[in-house]
Amino acid sequence: MGIGKKWAMSALTACFMLTMAGCGSNNDAGGNAASGESIKIATDASYAPMEYMDTDTVKGFDIDFIKAVMEEAGVKYTITNTGWDTMLTSVQQGTEYQAGVSSVSITDERKETYDYSIPYFESTNMIMVKEGSDIKSALDLKDKVVAVQGATTADTLMSDIMGVDNTNLKRFDSNAVALMELNAGGADAVVADIAIVNEYIKNNPKEKLVGILDKENFGSEYYGVLYPKGSEWKAKLDPAIKTVIENGKYAEIYKEWFGEEPDTAGLLSAE
Amino acid sequence: MDFRFDLIVHYLPVFLRGTLFTIGVSIVSILIGSVLGLGIGFGKMAPKAIYRWPFHLYINFFRGTPLYVQILIVHFGLIPAFYGTTNVLMTSFIALSLNSAAYSAEIFRAGIQSIDPGQREAALSLGMSKWQAMRFIILPQAIKRMVPAFGNEFIVLVKDSSLLALVAAPEIMFWSNTMKGQYLRIWEPYLTAALIYFVLTYSLSKLLNYIERKV
Repeated sequence: MGIGKKWAMSALTACFMLTMAGCGSNNDAGGNAASGESIKIATDASYAPMEYMDTDTVKGFDIDFIKAVMEEAGVKYTITNTGWDTMLTSVQQGTEYQAGVSSVSITDERKETYDYSIPYFESTNMIMVKEGSDIKSALDLKDKVVAVQGATTADTLMSDIMGVDNTNLKRFDSNAVALMELNAGGADAVVADIAIVNEYIKNNPKEKLVGILDKENFGSEYYGVLYPKGSEWKAKLDPAIKTVIENGKYAEIYKEWFGEEPDTAGLLSAE
Repeated sequence: MDFRFDLIVHYLPVFLRGTLFTIGVSIVSILIGSVLGLGIGFGKMAPKAIYRWPFHLYINFFRGTPLYVQILIVHFGLIPAFYGTTNVLMTSFIALSLNSAAYSAEIFRAGIQSIDPGQREAALSLGMSKWQAMRFIILPQAIKRMVPAFGNEFIVLVKDSSLLALVAAPEIMFWSNTMKGQYLRIWEPYLTAALIYFVLTYSLSKLLNYIERKV
């Protein structure tokens, strides 16, 4: 009996340890960590190709970018896939995680609650419709049914155009479900980040989808690293981010993920 | 950490609309679910195993798989197959009703089977038909025993309806997520949602207590 109980306990412990190991904590120490400082970074790894899980490792453009920044700054760091909500609450508190890197767009409303780094990525939203649709610009979406991922800037932009309380603006948990809604005929269009729309169109040629850029209504937006209000890390890491963008390291990572040159001049003058 | 009541006030009108949606969907689903559940419950008590089998399967499927997945299957599989496109209102009613029917069926079956077989035998020996015995002797006693379990199921259903946010049904959690996205704040939208659900379920349990005393 006693042995059986002990055995069950160790089996249970083993189970937990296996699950914990699988939750994607990526201990990637910076190369020249001279200062001995360290930072814990949270991310929501469900936004390929920006940040996503490849089984139990976090990968993506943001992950490679932050690695370059930390090497430049000489700061040790860990980046963990905490999910979106946990990332937001814990970065707001700033006790466990001191920063969030997860394609977070910089907006004035969000600045009331968080500090942001200098912009490190330029993005724009894109409309995706089925071939032969009469939608030509963002304003054509006003009286249509539009699917977006909730809590994104696509959501904010479409809320401004259609009204925040308009139920024809369907906000889904993820872009994956929003895209399914378009394919199932439940929405006339999806609005999402250009990288996501292009990736989806490229991967699903059979669905006969087209992307529409509307620079007039969907301006450029910028991603920033998220810090708690009044964080010291902003002052420490902003110079490193600037250096990485200037010294060509950024362009190297960018080309690796997106196959084209970034507009680093535009990025540096954005703030 | 600060708490921004002004943001909640700003979102209050849509939260109220979401609450109405939640209430509406819950009431309709519990009604459809209990009617379906009654049939399924009787089906599961059929005398021959071959008739019991499909009902058995139904109950085990809906009790044994996550509602999260059931909602996706209904929304992207079932509804488009019959209706051509997705329809979030139909998804809400159908997914919750089908799920609730499985639980209600077990409540009905357990309630009816908890009545001593002697009651039925006595009724039959008095010359009542099988239907009369069920209608006048067994059900009145069984329903009394079902009410607490049924109330429990109703409360669970109200909270489960929050999963409909997955397919963008404009209910309470949907608006919480919307608010979260605009300000990237967690506590204001989620605690507001929790409070609304609490008020709903607490009033519901008061109402159910009252009904329990009446029957």
